[in-house]
Amino acid sequence: MDNGSSNSHSLDLPVGSSRTSSQGHWLEVRDLAKQFGGVYALKEVSLTIRRGAVHGLVGANGAGKSTLIKALAGVIEPDSGEILLENKVVKIPDPHAATDLGLAFIHQEVSLVPGFDVLRNMAMGIDPDTHFGLIDWRSMRKRAEQVHERLGMHFSLNARTDDLSTAEQWLVLIGRALMRDAVMIAMDEPTASLSAVEAARVHKVVRDLRSENVAVIYVSHRLDEVVDLCDDITVFRDGAAVMSTTRENITKPSLVRAIVGSDVERLLKDESHVHGRVVLDVRDVSDKKLLKNVSLQVHEGEVLGIAGLVGSGRTELARIIYGDSKATSGEVYLDGQKTHFHSAADGARAGIGLVPEERRSQGVFLDRSIAFNVNISSLRDTVVSRWMPLLKVGAGNARALKSTQEVGVNTQDMKMLIGSLSGGNQQKVVIARWLAQKPKLLILDEPSRGVDVGARAEIHRVIRELAANGTAVIAISSDSEELVDLCDRVIVMNEGKISEELIGPRITLENIVSMSFNRKED
Amino acid sequence: MATTQSRPKAGGKRTSRYANMTKGKAALVIVSKYGTLMAMGLMLIIFGIAVPNGGFFNSDNLINILNQSSLTAIIASGLTVVLVVGEFDLSIGYVASLAGVLVTGLMAKQGLPMLIAILVTLVVGIAVGVINGLVVTKARVNAVVATLGVGTVVVGLSYGYTSGSPIVAVPDSFFQLALGQTFGLANPIWLMGIILFLLWVILNRTPLGQRIQAVGGNLHAARLAGIRTDRTKIITFMIAGLMAAITGIMLSSLLGSGTAAAADSYLMDSFAAVFLGSATLRDGEFHIVGTLIGVLIVNVGFNGLSQLGTPVFWQYIFKGGILVAAVALSTIARRYSKT
Repeated sequence: MDNGSSNSHSLDLPVGSSRTSSQGHWLEVRDLAKQFGGVYALKEVSLTIRRGAVHGLVGANGAGKSTLIKALAGVIEPDSGEILLENKVVKIPDPHAATDLGLAFIHQEVSLVPGFDVLRNMAMGIDPDTHFGLIDWRSMRKRAEQVHERLGMHFSLNARTDDLSTAEQWLVLIGRALMRDAVMIAMDEPTASLSAVEAARVHKVVRDLRSENVAVIYVSHRLDEVVDLCDDITVFRDGAAVMSTTRENITKPSLVRAIVGSDVERLLKDESHVHGRVVLDVRDVSDKKLLKNVSLQVHEGEVLGIAGLVGSGRTELARIIYGDSKATSGEVYLDGQKTHFHSAADGARAGIGLVPEERRSQGVFLDRSIAFNVNISSLRDTVVSRWMPLLKVGAGNARALKSTQEVGVNTQDMKMLIGSLSGGNQQKVVIARWLAQKPKLLILDEPSRGVDVGARAEIHRVIRELAANGTAVIAISSDSEELVDLCDRVIVMNEGKISEELIGPRITLENIVSMSFNRKED
Repeated sequence: MATTQSRPKAGGKRTSRYANMTKGKAALVIVSKYGTLMAMGLMLIIFGIAVPNGGFFNSDNLINILNQSSLTAIIASGLTVVLVVGEFDLSIGYVASLAGVLVTGLMAKQGLPMLIAILVTLVVGIAVGVINGLVVTKARVNAVVATLGVGTVVVGLSYGYTSGSPIVAVPDSFFQLALGQTFGLANPIWLMGIILFLLWVILNRTPLGQRIQAVGGNLHAARLAGIRTDRTKIITFMIAGLMAAITGIMLSSLLGSGTAAAADSYLMDSFAAVFLGSATLRDGEFHIVGTLIGVLIVNVGFNGLSQLGTPVFWQYIFKGGILVAAVALSTIARRYSKT
């Protein structure tokens, strides 16, 4: 800690005084700009971070949020503009300088050492007190215990971090920041992969930090939590801060408008799809662990939503329909034919497509081209002939280009590595994989997880178009709002059973959420 | 958001990629991809100058190098396919040895015609591949353990079949397989060219090859994309077994006898070549062209060193040294060029 920031501890109002006490400008960013190869990643962005307040940063992927955070963290150097801490200009040439100023950063990928216990993970990167060159673990533990208490961690400092849930791992990272006497903590999408219950725990900690006069920067795609949690909100679009406001002045629709830059059309519900020809008929399916006598039907041209908490059996059901795992009892009929799938390949061959839950580990081949990723499930379509199984030169690229343009992937270069696309565009590529084959049934598990608002709208458009052309669609999502936007009918799963079916006007956020949590009232 | 940052780094166009880097970084990227080729170029220059009377750069010697490389290249290309799918095969050397004793024994002991003996031997090579593949995919035994175990059984079969003594009574026509020439070029060189071309086509221009690459790239994603991953893996083991059998047959033709353990050393030579190849042109990926270059580097080195009269033990030091140096250099260069 250098002098400037040590003073800030004592100069400021007493800890926990109240939120309104710290209205002063603590950290100020003025006209910060940064270009990468002639493209503005930040366009003269100005904003103010207050202590004892949560500042939400929202915007599409690539809008400039991360670039701003990287500038504050000393990871990149801005081209122009300045950063002021308590009205004094500061330079942050490297991450170490940021730490010295009391700024801490928690990035999307949880960066813990799995084999280490909580204490050692929290102590990481701190210059420790030493006795004859040996780390003084006793004093370190004492400091950690204070943080432990402050954050209300209900797990031991001796627990191994790989035994903790994702939410608990976030707590450890926040703890690490507090061990370094951080006065500001920036969190990049802390709740992206958390269930509602786990997210609520993180929210509570964030609120506690606020009441302890810590400044929190909170990056999130979940607009509900932003509206709920943040005191100040800045919306980024194309590198510029297009809206900066306080909680009192925002509503979710206005936020969405600011992010997208225009109004998002709400799709009208048409109940007629719910009564079409039955494409998929699941009868009394159970599996070894979770599913108990699940029955459902999906009709031609229908988008069926499956809601429920993580662990309610949604993904397991999808895997059984696709053939990737087996039911212990019950039957699945596709187009009136009983299925006997032994593997996912059988499901794919029978005309079912699956867009998996975890894009990076289950969906894409990261170090391969876009064309490879699109064509991999339908290689037979581009061979010279059945007896001459050579891939036609250029045919794969042409085919991939057609499918990816249909889903709105923003590049024409099919040889580009998919890993260099944004998450939203990667997801579109995975959808494009199935599009060209006109599947009878398409199952999407978390279709827009970790995807920005614009890409999400586009993915929804593609799904609706696919359904309009006769494909039966199952959309599994933890994002209830997505189901409301997208689906003709929603079933709610609860502990391996279907607990409720919602059609037409009954598909509301309140219904889905209350029925997902239903089991607590049982 | 992180993806925006990675875009310039992974961007497709080569020019912009180097343009954004400092000179030092660009040099590192070049070294990581072309280092092995530069090493080969350097060796060619040094041997060209150092070997007296232009003994290195005459067509006889260059063809000799290709000839010496051909059998290793064939067996190593089979291994390449297994490594692309993300598995391992430690049985190939033993399979090649078995193929050598089997093909000679079937002719000498069982009195089968040469063509039948060769076909049976090739089928046996493929069969060992199937067994390897089944043990790895269905019994889910780690490929290192599975192929080591199967390979050891194969060693036993070789010794059992020969009862420990070499099989020598083979027809003259069998010698011609490896020693003969076609259109003025030694047969093994033709065979190497044809097989490597076919495997290159299979890996890069057929649905099977795309599936092999997909399974090696991301097994889980490949399964969910509808690929029969087990079948794909088994096929690669079959290819490796077949290539091992071809190498074993050619070696026994070259030696004029079938000896148990004759081809065992091809295992290590193949691995050296394949990993040298993975440090060539691509970022640590296994590929056929790389494997060929890997084999050639080792053999150019051997040839040059022996022509200079260097004691044999130096050749091993050279082989081990260049393997470790090349792979380490390309890994380090790749890592630094990305930071």
